[in-house]
Amino acid sequence: MDYHYVLPVVVAGRLLISYSLHSDALLHNHQLSSPPTSYSRLQEGVYLFKNAINPYSGGLFHHSPLLLSLFSTVIPLSSAISPALWTLCDTLGAHCMVSIWRARSKLESSRRDGLIAALYLLNPYILLSSLALSTSTFENALYLLSLSFASQGSSSQALLCLAILTHLSLPSALLAAPIVMLLISGPESYLASPKAFTGDARKATRLCAEYLVYALSLTMISTVISDGWTWVPKTWGASLLLPDLTPNPGLWWYFFTEMFDHFRPFFLVVFSAHLVIYVAPLCIKFQHDPLYVTFLLQGILATFKPYPTLADPGLFLSTIALFPETYPYLRHPIVTVLLHVHASLLLPLFHHLWLGQGSGNANFFYASTLVFGMANGAALIDCAWAGLRIAFGEKVPGHEVVQK
Amino acid sequence: MVKSTLAAAISVWLVLTSAHCHPERFSEHLSLKSLRDGRVATRFSFKTVVQDAVPRAPDSLADEDDAQHYTLFPLSLGQILRSYAVTEMHLTLNSGRWDYTRWGYPEEAGVATGAELWAWMGDSETVSLDERWKGLRNALAGLFCASLGSLDERRTTSPSHSFKPEGHLPKYSQPHRLRHATLPSENVCTENLTPFLKLLPCKSSSGIASLLNPHKLFDADWHGMAIHVTWDKNEGVVVELSFQAVFDSVRTNFFRKRDWSFEHLFGRKIVQHCTAAVASVIEVDLPVDVAYSISPEPSSALNGIAKYDVSAFSGGLDVSLKWPGEEAFAYPLHPPTQPLTDFTITRVLTGPTQSRGQLSISITNNLPDEATVLYVETMPWFVQFYLHTMRLTVDRRQRDDLLSSLSYTLPIAHGRPTLFEPRLRLPPNSTVALTMEVVKSFLQYTEHPPDAQRGWDLPPAVLVPLRTTRPSNSTTPNVSTTSDATPLTQSLGHRQPNLQRIYTRNLLVDLATPDFSMPYNVIIMSSTLIALAFGMLFNLLTRKFVLVNVAPRVVAAEAVSK
Repeated sequence: MDYHYVLPVVVAGRLLISYSLHSDALLHNHQLSSPPTSYSRLQEGVYLFKNAINPYSGGLFHHSPLLLSLFSTVIPLSSAISPALWTLCDTLGAHCMVSIWRARSKLESSRRDGLIAALYLLNPYILLSSLALSTSTFENALYLLSLSFASQGSSSQALLCLAILTHLSLPSALLAAPIVMLLISGPESYLASPKAFTGDARKATRLCAEYLVYALSLTMISTVISDGWTWVPKTWGASLLLPDLTPNPGLWWYFFTEMFDHFRPFFLVVFSAHLVIYVAPLCIKFQHDPLYVTFLLQGILATFKPYPTLADPGLFLSTIALFPETYPYLRHPIVTVLLHVHASLLLPLFHHLWLGQGSGNANFFYASTLVFGMANGAALIDCAWAGLRIAFGEKVPGHEVVQK
Repeated sequence: MVKSTLAAAISVWLVLTSAHCHPERFSEHLSLKSLRDGRVATRFSFKTVVQDAVPRAPDSLADEDDAQHYTLFPLSLGQILRSYAVTEMHLTLNSGRWDYTRWGYPEEAGVATGAELWAWMGDSETVSLDERWKGLRNALAGLFCASLGSLDERRTTSPSHSFKPEGHLPKYSQPHRLRHATLPSENVCTENLTPFLKLLPCKSSSGIASLLNPHKLFDADWHGMAIHVTWDKNEGVVVELSFQAVFDSVRTNFFRKRDWSFEHLFGRKIVQHCTAAVASVIEVDLPVDVAYSISPEPSSALNGIAKYDVSAFSGGLDVSLKWPGEEAFAYPLHPPTQPLTDFTITRVLTGPTQSRGQLSISITNNLPDEATVLYVETMPWFVQFYLHTMRLTVDRRQRDDLLSSLSYTLPIAHGRPTLFEPRLRLPPNSTVALTMEVVKSFLQYTEHPPDAQRGWDLPPAVLVPLRTTRPSNSTTPNVSTTSDATPLTQSLGHRQPNLQRIYTRNLLVDLATPDFSMPYNVIIMSSTLIALAFGMLFNLLTRKFVLVNVAPRVVAAEAVSK
């Protein structure tokens, strides 16, 4: 598939869909946009901001002040512009995917480019979230942009994109470690031939410092925009304290709906710390291929972060396309696919039965989020397995690779 | 010698204490009014004035309070007012819905269904305003046996433009602030009336208060009690306890007539008057354009109002009003040609799902003049507004210019309620529709009430008409018109709207509920999933991969088979 031919066709198709399919049901769908990524809430925040009411004085608005200032001054949120803007972001994301692939495979262009772009643009999880105008589309684009810059060795741009991403969604800060490693060692695939990470500690410190400077300046800019620090507890605080228990395909919302009040702080700490635990072991074990660490870590975030939308696991699934060398070593791809099919049928169905129809209860939707969690977990474990198994080469008759 | 010093000491003490004693005055009043639909609206009012008394200054809260001596003023209420330094307070407990379209304006504005409490208190540094507000509502909850303790931060707002003080506010070092809260699901019942009666000097044994018969009052179509504390700089501290009820005399009459008497309405008559009262007056609104008979002969009848002085009737008083020409009462089939209120307001919450809905408010201005009103909406945090979807329409035409200003306090999840207070201009004789999308939040399972599936009562919205200045072209009086044939509309045109606030009915919102039996299951199942993923991933990351030769066994097996 020729990339220069595929991309315009797919983008044109996407534009057609996004302008013809303008439905309220999509816009308010809990699976496609969570409180910190909801388009309606962004509109509300911009409305309040324009009417000189601080949107962070209430509990409805969880978006970053950067988005607030962007959409209240530069780009107006309207039904004429927004679908195009969201499609544009996805196109940018798809292009970044292709450039990451080119950097990793050291090819100027390949027959795979078109496939990768199409896999990103036509992934139903990503497509639907983008139709719902969820700001997780921006997060995905920033993530891919950051990786793409990092793969090409443009450290400042990569770290700036990462800082903006962190600003929009706090858990993404965990991606800083593998991206710094990626900037030091490069995107080439060493999965099949592991080598020790040879990094210059001074360079790593410089990169980390640069990232922190960007993050701090964004924080200061936000503080100036929103005239005070009220935005911090409402944006970052929301992803740590989970004040809004609106259902989403993740695991946090029902857990903390049903939580005993005196255990709430404890489990909030456990759930937040749980995300941090994975960073160091993954970085150590996959030190030869930081791009793969970023990929796995993003998968973990997509499964276990506080306010996920379908776009987050969608991004993880689409980025599998960047690692074709691991495919022969996947243990249960069919099971994973079936779990995903199962979950993606159950999620909207049970959501409607509970909140729309009223004939189901909350447990129905909770059960489907569990299935979805299992599907994401299965994909994650299988990719981690394949990434490690590949180092032992193809299967030799009479021999088996096992863990001690 | 000892005796005389003791007497002197006592007299000195008496003089000293009498310095804090203010003269008190108690008066009682009952008004009865026949309504268009055959019902009878009654209002009992018991007013105690502590002359020249001043509400306690909040700065003096750190010091010991002066001793208070009351003779008629209810001590338990007085203590509450003093210990929380409350300048003005209004508590209403109502049951049922006041039907403005059929009954017109109530005599007392506070007809919100459920409990409503608002207080003006001076700010102070010694004890914070919110602490005193909390103390006040808890003390009143104890005094009136009502669940006013639930009027917490999640219900409290401060709509100071709409709930202006009804009395005067003394000048203290810091300004006065308003606290307002409503609890729509609170109902008034006998257990609230008993402490109410205990606050009266004659209890319910004599005077007008003896008509307060719980069996009859709580059978009324609409009933509610109110406690108003105000300060008038010319009079002193005024406490008014009132009880309003709308009786359906047709329903309880055997011949389906609308005739009523005290015996019929209250099951009692006034046997003796309350000697503590300086005035004890009963007022009956007399019907117009219909033949009627009233007995006994009123003390005075002026402007269609018959007055009785209870103290003049020693042998017992049972006022009765009859329509002798009427066989059975015929309910009016058509609404009144001229609306009974200047404004009509309806509010509905629509939307099929449990996650969002639409709030539609329509306000009709029945006046031939443009009017300005404040619309006050206090929503608990779990119903959140999307203000960007707010549309104002008149006859389906968008008229966003009618919103002249907006004061909006955003809700905080699990905390503060919304206060939405737009100032609207209402064109003459037209209906303004305000629609807006709302989001219904998801609550923690402990936040739901015991019967969660019933839904949540949402407090009534309030429409507060504002005093309007006349349009500039009509500031000159109409004397210049040559003939006296002034058009009717014009002569009606410049009357000020009735400034009494109007309450909407309560709403019931259906919130999504979690499964209340699931906490352990959810903790177990979610934790299992996380533990599985965690365990399997760390298993992969920590255990070493080895290549195991499994061939010999296979070869041996093959050899055996050969």
